[in-house]
Amino acid sequence: MQTPSPEVAKAAEPVIEVRDLVKVYGGVKAINGLNLKVDAGELVSIIGPNGAGKSTFFKLLMGIEAPTSGKVYFHGKDITRLPCFRRARLGLGIKFQNMHVYQELSVFQNLFIPLRRNHKPDKIPGRVKVLLPQLHLEGTEEESVHRLSHGQQQWLAIGMSIALEPEVLLLDEPAAGMSAEETRATAEILKRLNRQGVTIGVIEHDMMFIRLLNARTTVLHYGQLFAEGSFEEIEQNENVHRIYLGKI
Amino acid sequence: MRIFKLLTGPQTLGRGPLFWSGFLLVMIVLALAPQYLSRYEIILFSNFFISGFLALSLCLLWGYCGILSLGQAAFFGIGGYAYGIVALNLLNLHENTMLAILAGIVVPALFAAFIGAIMFFARLKGVYIAILTLVVSLLFQTFLLQTADPSYTIGAAYLGGFNGLRPASPDDPLLPSLILGFGSATIELDGRSYEFFYFVLGLLCLVYLGLRCLVNSSYGYLLVGCREDSDRTETFGYDVRLIQLSVFCLSAALAGLAGLLYTAWGTYVHPKVFDVAPNILVVIWVAVGGRKDLTAALIGAIVVEWVSLRLASEGEISLFVLGAILVAVMLFAPEGLVIKLASLASSLRPKRDRAAATRVES
Repeated sequence: MQTPSPEVAKAAEPVIEVRDLVKVYGGVKAINGLNLKVDAGELVSIIGPNGAGKSTFFKLLMGIEAPTSGKVYFHGKDITRLPCFRRARLGLGIKFQNMHVYQELSVFQNLFIPLRRNHKPDKIPGRVKVLLPQLHLEGTEEESVHRLSHGQQQWLAIGMSIALEPEVLLLDEPAAGMSAEETRATAEILKRLNRQGVTIGVIEHDMMFIRLLNARTTVLHYGQLFAEGSFEEIEQNENVHRIYLGKI
Repeated sequence: MRIFKLLTGPQTLGRGPLFWSGFLLVMIVLALAPQYLSRYEIILFSNFFISGFLALSLCLLWGYCGILSLGQAAFFGIGGYAYGIVALNLLNLHENTMLAILAGIVVPALFAAFIGAIMFFARLKGVYIAILTLVVSLLFQTFLLQTADPSYTIGAAYLGGFNGLRPASPDDPLLPSLILGFGSATIELDGRSYEFFYFVLGLLCLVYLGLRCLVNSSYGYLLVGCREDSDRTETFGYDVRLIQLSVFCLSAALAGLAGLLYTAWGTYVHPKVFDVAPNILVVIWVAVGGRKDLTAALIGAIVVEWVSLRLASEGEISLFVLGAILVAVMLFAPEGLVIKLASLASSLRPKRDRAAATRVES
């Protein structure tokens, strides 16, 4: 048996790991002893019925909420107590479930704020010009965000997270409220990003979108890991079908 | 060129030649004011300009960063008292008030750093900040009102309770106007003089233009980011608490500047400046003009002050009418009268020119 080279071993090191993660809201365990690893460069879909703890899990990863107990690791470093902005500086990016774009600003200004983190102001127009076509938002630079369609606002929200050039991107329902065509385009955006080396975690209810991603799929249920595997395996898992129909 | 871009950036109304021609015209009309206004009116206008600094301070904090302070008059009062106390103590020694001016700006900023650190690092938001800042202002008033006892002296300054700040003994100097310069090269700007009027007008113009550059800079974008969605801004790696704290201190420094100018203008400062009414009045100025734009807030302050003065001669009706104006504006132009008028004017212009007004108004 061959020993993996140091490079391969490094590549296989989990970029994100949670151990025995618990989050209690008023007596309800939204996350209940969750253990999960995500390797560098992976694309992971996270599904589960309403109330499974998916969004809470992302909030705990990003540091928007603190866990009741358990640990969060980034490249093996304990980041459980780090505030959100420090995690962002380490390389974690998120798009929230609700859109969270700056409604009163233009598309350019929306992208300016995350881009300014890593770029000087005079470099930003160039960066925006590169980003907009990737997000299917060409020509909207000066447009006020509230004039964009729902799908365009979703892309902008994703784009703002991408603008930060994160190592790990967490997307909570990136295709919510999108047409079939827009959903397909969103899946393409994420796959392209993933090919460029960005580790991506996606929460989604739209099974067509999850099928398009065709990635490792993790099922959460009552705040615990319920099932894990390729999308085909999960799709054929009787137990997963049952929890979605409310039988477990 | 970069300065020009900052002055005419999208976070402020007025990008075209029309606005800047109007600005120049207003400055000329004001500069010529001593030619056609009485001495009494000039003195009043100096005071209106001082209100302008206070309005800009709240506009920056509330309009741009979304933090409503109901205690902006506290920093105004602290600035006024700090100026007075330092001036009374150092006047005989230095024969100018330069250090007192510095104290009038720095002391409120330091106090804001203390209060702000508690508020923002405890992640207080919205109404809690509004209440806390108002309570701080009222605490200052309560404390200063009970300082009539002669033991409340700081060197040559006697706090004086209800009667306000005054010299501790007849040998000490009186509370001075602004005395600028060093050594023997000093100039005294009496609050009733044309020189004071021009000094305050010039300073207000500088501060206004400086703030325009600030809100159109990267820092200004971050302020607006915090106003629009502070959680989202934090996910981009920005420590929102530090941004909020810094703008709170800057706003307090500006309010302190207004306070020290007020003390120098009237050579008088008293605990009433910390009362509820002055605190609310600042909010009315800024809300009536338009909180999300510096020009709108500045015009709001000067116009409302002028209207209140006109109404004051009619007796108690003044406050009633001011209240009615606020209610009417909130109902029909919640974004503020000046911003509403600017957006109406921009709707008559081609689409490209509308961009800036639309961003501010929405």
